[in-house]
Amino acid sequence: MSDDPTIERDEDFAAAEYVLGVLSAKDRRAAEQRLARDPAFANEVAFWEERLAGVAAGVTPAPAPERAWTRIEAALARGAQRQASRGVWDSLAFWRGFALAASALAAACLAGLIYVGSAVSPSPLLARLDAEGGKAGFVAAVNTGDGSLTVVPAALLAPAAQQAFELWLIPPGDKPHSLGLIDPARPVTIRVPKDLLKQVAREAVLAVSVEPPGGSPTGAPTGPVIANGKLASL
Amino acid sequence: MDAEARRRELAAAIARVAGGDRAALKLVYDATSAKLFGILIRILSDRSEAEDVLQDVYLTVWQKADAFDAARASPMTWLIAIARNRAIDRLRSSAARRAEPIEAAGEVADPGASAVDWLQSEQERGRLELCLAELEAHQSAAIRAAFIDGLTYETLAARAGVPLGTMKSWIRRALIKLRACLTR
Repeated sequence: MSDDPTIERDEDFAAAEYVLGVLSAKDRRAAEQRLARDPAFANEVAFWEERLAGVAAGVTPAPAPERAWTRIEAALARGAQRQASRGVWDSLAFWRGFALAASALAAACLAGLIYVGSAVSPSPLLARLDAEGGKAGFVAAVNTGDGSLTVVPAALLAPAAQQAFELWLIPPGDKPHSLGLIDPARPVTIRVPKDLLKQVAREAVLAVSVEPPGGSPTGAPTGPVIANGKLASL
Repeated sequence: MDAEARRRELAAAIARVAGGDRAALKLVYDATSAKLFGILIRILSDRSEAEDVLQDVYLTVWQKADAFDAARASPMTWLIAIARNRAIDRLRSSAARRAEPIEAAGEVADPGASAVDWLQSEQERGRLELCLAELEAHQSAAIRAAFIDGLTYETLAARAGVPLGTMKSWIRRALIKLRACLTR
């Protein structure tokens, strides 16, 4: 590659080349992995970062539009909200962990938690919403005391871009009623509308359908049902 | 306020960000976003992508401020490294998108024209300029183009119209000389 005897092995230059920015995506990942476990390499990267940063002095500053800060603030606010509400209820790993281990047990735990969480609650209801192949897609539990319904993803289901997941209540012999959109990535608690609360009972079916963003435009499911299950009491 | 005091103030603001102080993040943003936005536009050649990455950069600052070690790096060096790394990763991941940068590589080599930049140590920059000046013109131009535009060896070689091996050799020899000069 070169007639210069001092230029020997690629790795001797990896730190400088990483900082300089000439590496391919693959070589950058390799450099970053080395950065994490090789202190000498990290020192070398720090050396070049400090010394070469001055090259950027030749770049003309450009004031960022005001909306840039607004977007950052909004993202921070969302993050803070997530942080504040993060408890065992919002820990997907927790839910997924036990939901996958044993869905029946999971549902019992979920209902138990709801029961414990609201001592005055009458018997909680729960449903395991099976996806194709009989695997649990979601686990749902209803606190009939306050009409809250918690839906927890139990499998990695992701809507395609431009699609959303909508939850439906189908009382025996009735048509589906929308309970709103749910999140395939984290537990969602829905307040069941008062006029539907009575129908959230044993034998009613909960189903999840694939819909356009924002939900079904017709008020009835329009896309395929990807998971469903019957409500039962604990 | 002199440059050193402003740098200390910036480092102190980053330390406060580490403690979850949002007002401090705004201070950091106000002091540095124009510089970083300029760097991002330069690498990405696209203002709206640069805006996306700018958001990422300050969210990273928010999350990783506790990793900033004022004893080890100057605050601006740290911020520039975050911005460049994000931008270069974005550039590499959009391999299909190979827009020509706004300006040609040759035009980058204009260190004297830059205004006094309090964000970086005058002394260190002076040293760097001195060392870059000791390189051959094609070497220092390649180093500047690589750093400022975040281009791969392949693209740099294509732009300069030389074989890949030649470009690697230019830059690696330049790095050897720079290292010797910077640590002298």
